Amino acid sequence: MTDNSYYKVGRRPWELKGQPDGLVERKRSRVPYTKRHWLKWRDNHNAKTLQRERVLADKKPLWWTLGLGLLLVVTPFLPNSMISVASVFCIYAAINILWTLIVGTAGIFSLATLAVVGMSGYIAAAANVYLGVPWPFMLIIGPLVGFMAGAILAAPSTRLDGLYYALLTMGVAEICRVFVVQLRALTANNGAITQVDSFIPEDWFLQRPGLLLGFGGAFCLLLGALLVWRLVNSERLGLLLRAAKGSREDESFCEAVGIDFRRARLQVFVISSAALGFVGAFYAMYYRSISPSIFSLDQMLLLFAMMVIGGLGRAEGAVIGAAVVTIIDKGMIELGPVRIIIVAAIMLLVTIFAREGLTGAREQFRDFRKRKAGERRARRTEKGGEAMPEEAVDVLDKQELYYRRFNKRLRERLKKMITPELIAEHKDDPLGHHSDALSRVLNYFRRAEMADKYVIMRLKDGEERYRIMAVSGIRGMPPRVVDDKQYDALNDAYHAVFLLRVNDLLES
Amino acid sequence: MTDIRLFGYSDPLAAKTGEPVDFMISAEGTTEAQIDIVRLVHGDYNPSGPGFIEELVETDLPKTLSVERQYTQNGAFARVKDAEHKLGHVDSFTVHAFICPSSPGGERQTIMGCWSVNTSQGYALGINPEGKLEFWIGDGDKVDQVTSDAPLVPKVWLLVAASFNHETHEVRLRQISVQNSWNSGIGPVTPLDNNSHVVESMRCSPLCVESDFLLAGAHESNLRRGPFVSMLYNGKMDRPGIVARVLSADEMADIAQGTPPDDPLAYWDTTEGYTDTGIGDRIFDTGPNGLHADGVNRPIRAMTGWNWMGRDDSFRLNPSQYGGIAFHDDALIDCDWSPSISWVPDVALKSGVYALRVSAGDKTDRIPVIVRPQTPQAKIAVQMSTFTYLAYANEHLSFEAQIAQAIVAHTPVISEDDLEYNKLQEFGLSTYDHHSDGAGVCYSSWKRPIINIRPGYRMAGMTFPWALPADLSLLWWLEHAGYDYDLITDHDVHAEGSDALTPYKTVLNVTHPEYYSAHMLDATEQYLMAGGRMMYIGGNGYYWVTSTVPDDPACIEVRKLDVGSRAWQAEPGEGYLASTGERSGLWRSRGRAPQKLVGLGFTAEGMDRSEPFERMPDSFHKRVAWIFDGIGDEELIGEFGLALGGAAGVELDRYDLALGTPPHTLMLAASCGHTDNYPLVSEEISYAFPGRGGTQDPQVRGDMIFFNTANNGAVFAAGSIAWSQALPCHGGENNVATVMRNLLNAFIKDGPLPGSSYTGMEKAWR
Repeated sequence: MTDNSYYKVGRRPWELKGQPDGLVERKRSRVPYTKRHWLKWRDNHNAKTLQRERVLADKKPLWWTLGLGLLLVVTPFLPNSMISVASVFCIYAAINILWTLIVGTAGIFSLATLAVVGMSGYIAAAANVYLGVPWPFMLIIGPLVGFMAGAILAAPSTRLDGLYYALLTMGVAEICRVFVVQLRALTANNGAITQVDSFIPEDWFLQRPGLLLGFGGAFCLLLGALLVWRLVNSERLGLLLRAAKGSREDESFCEAVGIDFRRARLQVFVISSAALGFVGAFYAMYYRSISPSIFSLDQMLLLFAMMVIGGLGRAEGAVIGAAVVTIIDKGMIELGPVRIIIVAAIMLLVTIFAREGLTGAREQFRDFRKRKAGERRARRTEKGGEAMPEEAVDVLDKQELYYRRFNKRLRERLKKMITPELIAEHKDDPLGHHSDALSRVLNYFRRAEMADKYVIMRLKDGEERYRIMAVSGIRGMPPRVVDDKQYDALNDAYHAVFLLRVNDLLES
Repeated sequence: MTDIRLFGYSDPLAAKTGEPVDFMISAEGTTEAQIDIVRLVHGDYNPSGPGFIEELVETDLPKTLSVERQYTQNGAFARVKDAEHKLGHVDSFTVHAFICPSSPGGERQTIMGCWSVNTSQGYALGINPEGKLEFWIGDGDKVDQVTSDAPLVPKVWLLVAASFNHETHEVRLRQISVQNSWNSGIGPVTPLDNNSHVVESMRCSPLCVESDFLLAGAHESNLRRGPFVSMLYNGKMDRPGIVARVLSADEMADIAQGTPPDDPLAYWDTTEGYTDTGIGDRIFDTGPNGLHADGVNRPIRAMTGWNWMGRDDSFRLNPSQYGGIAFHDDALIDCDWSPSISWVPDVALKSGVYALRVSAGDKTDRIPVIVRPQTPQAKIAVQMSTFTYLAYANEHLSFEAQIAQAIVAHTPVISEDDLEYNKLQEFGLSTYDHHSDGAGVCYSSWKRPIINIRPGYRMAGMTFPWALPADLSLLWWLEHAGYDYDLITDHDVHAEGSDALTPYKTVLNVTHPEYYSAHMLDATEQYLMAGGRMMYIGGNGYYWVTSTVPDDPACIEVRKLDVGSRAWQAEPGEGYLASTGERSGLWRSRGRAPQKLVGLGFTAEGMDRSEPFERMPDSFHKRVAWIFDGIGDEELIGEFGLALGGAAGVELDRYDLALGTPPHTLMLAASCGHTDNYPLVSEEISYAFPGRGGTQDPQVRGDMIFFNTANNGAVFAAGSIAWSQALPCHGGENNVATVMRNLLNAFIKDGPLPGSSYTGMEKAWR
């Protein structure tokens, strides 16, 4: 029987912690032009030792640096095919991050993300190929087209509900595809524009230096997308939208408290679209061509898979999702169509088992552990009974632990005293000279803690009408009504309270 | 229809006829209220008595009154009037203070500064919601802040300082521990590091717009309410200051050693202005500009400071270690409402308890005022225990004190008004409550609506009227029995001494004269020595060392310490009254046990049932037998009562020669048969052992005694709160009333008292 034995608790810390000296001056530097610090160091007193320690309260910057650093360092040593996979990953991650801004931050369920990328890519490429605009200007034309497309697409977003808007934007993507395919000038190339000039010299194209340069560009693109994410999501616009997040259903409420919710949403949408336009131009340059497949539904669904696998609404979700899907889809090309099945399977598994994609897994794991701990504790301890060592670590005032033990034993003794005679004695005279047993029972009741302690409410001054309530124990928080019974004599009310308490005691 | 709310208070609480009384009213849900003046005749709905009785009084007051919502500033802080912006408009500066925060974390708190919440302008040193020290500045456009590294530990002293360099926009935020073995809530064995020194550059400069500099608060305003102070601080503060430059590390170290800065812009020496007889509400700036800070809602003075070394237990012994000022965010001394109407009681008006009856819709509120005649009219004076009324004002026991139900031995019965007051939490606390940070409440004043001085109000914990509404039972009976009386109050006796008592042949105390000042004890003593006749017909009287605040009689101060039935316990070294400099606590701890004055002192309390008095052999002595004319030899006295069905109960007082009961005292009667819910009081317990309840301990009883004083004076005492509340039973004709009649008839006559000639030695054959 393990039920009677106690588990030992305690754990060595795994986290590296600083040991600051409070007497030493610390100069805290900030990210330029912001109030932000580079890293979120926080000091606290270790609950076990009371010694001061410094912990990194937000470890995300650490993981970002590690992840992106690793990508940057490892990629140049990879074979050519894998370098292009890394580049494609960067591009998709960038698109995904910007899309997350639209869907997560702005809360607009747009499926026209790739349409915007495609439109911008096409127009920028056309400008280069047919009008002879030099390639650097493509990086200006792209965002401009994206900006305009965003502005046009934004207009109906305030009028239409999520699902209708999603359908609309899907339609827009399809219209773009059909339009491009049917364009007579491009029929020769099946609707594609080729021979686009690029930052990669033509003779390096598909060569190792060209691939490396392409990767460099794509990596910078990813950094840029992250910067846009940071500036939009974590600064004023994002904060505004987050402040109203709890009441997204009620935009008029947000406006009432001074948040121009619609405006903020549209701004985020247009900014993200312009950034997507930039990605479009980059895309055309990276491949030195652009084809109608960019508008296709399967591309869109691949992006969708990334989002679902990574987790919606977070930059790290967008990036991890992109990584998983690109590695399978582009890195394991030799698997053929099976890889699509793998992506679908992963997607399915994630949706079944993870609440918020892979990035939410950690939080979910913690909740799971907490739930399990709760279940185990409940199994090991009776209600209101003694605390187990694993529970005791959460109780600051250790005297509480003794009170629990004491009161549990006291209750056991008192329960045996509850007899019909004792109840009759109380009914007879709630305030009189009482037997030893009744005095002990009453004294236990009266000493109970304040939260949910019974009181009697006199319904009107000068009248004998009462009902039973229970006080909150929190200053300013009114008592709750226990039941709707009314009593016409104070002694009846006293006795009713007594019976409620006896009931609570016997149930414990 | 919107819910109507009416609240109000009178200032003063007690007035002489011919002198004006202001009534402050706040109303919600209505702009007009009907008013009239009523005389409160009886204030208990209990069907065993005469019920609730009031009498309309003809006055020239208007019938209706326009009323409006009035707002209350809660929380203690100190305000520095700084019209020239000497503290606000500085370039580079350092603010510093010793602090002992009591509840860091939760809501943002301000330690000092000139911060405007609405416009985000100015600067302030404070505590952020995370519980860390923070210095924040704003110019109306941008806001910036620096947060300290080390978390603040509750109840541990430290020096905090922030300096701003206006050229580099650099802020230095320092936290220097000054914890020693004595001054803090936990000792130096805890390896906490409370030091911190952070330097950071700001992106804006402070721009102060408000001219007032605040200690422990920040400026806020609201369209309806106008300006008020928010972001209040909880904890102690000691010797804050400002220097108009950035201080070096060495200079900071000097301040941490207790040396004031050489060139302060302002330095509030919180130990300045201490006298042997108390401390005022002004915090003196000893700097060049004399920018003194004035306390609002009475920041608590005479508290131990950052450098307290435990040797001196009073500010009088060593002011330099008593610079602590305690601030509480829920302190309330003065609602400061504007008067809604003023009433001058007619000189011919009968002395009594009157009330302004305010009604609107289905709401009616009665704002009591005690009216004393311009000059003494009657032979009997009833001393209304206004100190006690204040001490219990708006008590929260039934809602907050875990042990309350065990003390009173039954389930509280609350009313609609209790719910309302408890929900609002706007009208302050009693000396039975704790501030939000757990510290006991030592001040209480009448400048706020007080629920439990309303007639008809029953104290929730006990389900019967307490203090003023209970005392109306005595007044009803005096009137019923045909005795003329004048009302005087504790405040009158405190202010005028024995002059307030000597015009009267006899003075009656009320149910519970628990809170007494030295002046009042002296006055009563002198009155008795000069031949006065006291009837102490209450319980637990002359108990706590109390005083009014010198510049504000509306406010009383008490510190509960060491022994006694105390709702809280003053921290070590903080047991002396800031108002007078005397040690508070129980009078018996200071050589003035109530037994020395009136023969009886507190012995037990319980609120489940009251018992009758039973005659003791002494009552058959001819010196006193006249008191029992009309009462049978074995008749139980007071087997009835509006307070738990007996004349002896609630709180009981006992005869004790060891505590100074005059040796010639006759013990006339005593109560018996109390339940175990009447345990012997803690000050009587030196060794704890079982069986100190009413069924086992003979010291649990109420006594009835009599003794003569010089010049035909005398004291009759029946040590029970329930005594007066037994009088109205059976239509006011009962054996308690008989005792009272026999006594009053004798006491109001000039010359020797009946029985006073039986002073010979009893040469008895039996």
